[in-house]
Amino acid sequence: MNQDRRDFIRKAGIGALAGIGAAAGLIPLFALEKTDLSVFSDKPVPGKTRWGMLVDTRKCGEGCTECIVRCHHDHNVPDFGKSKSEVKWIWKSGYEQAFPTASKQFQSSDLAHRKVLTLCNHCAEPPCTRACPTEATFRRWDGIVSMDYHRCIGCRFCMAACPYGSRSFNWQDPRPALKTLSPAYPTRERGVVEKCNFCSERLAKGQLPACVESCPEKALSFGDLNDPKSEIRMMLASNETMQRKPELGTLPSVFYII
Amino acid sequence: MSKFLRTAVAFFIAIAVFAGTWLFMQSGHGTAAAAHAAVPAAAARVVPVDSTRCIAQTEWMRAHHMQLLNQWRHDSVREGNRTHVTRDGRMFDKSLNTCLGCHASNPMFCFMCHQYANVKPTCWNCHISPMESNK
Repeated sequence: MNQDRRDFIRKAGIGALAGIGAAAGLIPLFALEKTDLSVFSDKPVPGKTRWGMLVDTRKCGEGCTECIVRCHHDHNVPDFGKSKSEVKWIWKSGYEQAFPTASKQFQSSDLAHRKVLTLCNHCAEPPCTRACPTEATFRRWDGIVSMDYHRCIGCRFCMAACPYGSRSFNWQDPRPALKTLSPAYPTRERGVVEKCNFCSERLAKGQLPACVESCPEKALSFGDLNDPKSEIRMMLASNETMQRKPELGTLPSVFYII
Repeated sequence: MSKFLRTAVAFFIAIAVFAGTWLFMQSGHGTAAAAHAAVPAAAARVVPVDSTRCIAQTEWMRAHHMQLLNQWRHDSVREGNRTHVTRDGRMFDKSLNTCLGCHASNPMFCFMCHQYANVKPTCWNCHISPMESNK
């Protein structure tokens, strides 16, 4: 090859490198790779927090339905008026129904008649999310078992899988069954499953769940189970507590003081 | 002299080739990349509601609002990343309510165009439409 030609190609190469370097340095638009700011995003670390609730059944007032009314109003939970098509996010069960495997021998009559507040347990090992064929229900980064109603196809596998009866199905259009519409939260439509979402829409704003806030007896505590210094962990450490059906290995995040 | 000239020409060609390649690569995805500008830290939780301008240009929003809403839903529901940052640094909560915060002032905002285009999205089966909330 001609020596001049060689020289020219070599210089052109050096020139190209210098050109790229100079262009990238002088004009930020010319940088080869745009800085991807998403690595600095506020995307949370999965598993860092695990929201949990502690229900003090001793304080829970008999006949009081403050939390239930508030929750069902805020989340536009319909009331169809029939137990067969009932939709519920939070409700009261008898002690025996809530803890069917707890010992009932020589039980105090107080306990036999006590009503226990029940809701979705937001299990650490949720059976419902495994049953869902469309990933409409899934365990979030903060331990909340969440529902994406857009994806729900209404197959009700999750209802069969949930050992706590925490899920309800909309057999009819829920809109006509709502007395007052809460504009801050969407409703559901016919043919989707719904359940408690641990007030994830309120947690995003830094507020406590509606039931915890509305309880007049302060019987509900809410906090991060993964933080050893959180109030709920302190209370769990200083009280004897129960979970519902612990033998199933679902690891519920809702605890009870009896 | 001719050696210097040759070097200068080499330099010029190199820069021209580089600039041409760069422009060619960028022409494919201009506005789309701009509107999906990512999110910085510490922006979370505090949601500036007030805005006199939309998150992107009207033309882009007209063509792509459904893709944007899908992306927002994925980010906020599945990833927990709730803050949208526009290219000029304004921050928005990734929520349909952010859109309705301004656009609901005209209750027919969505309906006019959807009716004209004869599309029937199912948003308002569950979400509260401005027609209902403004009642």
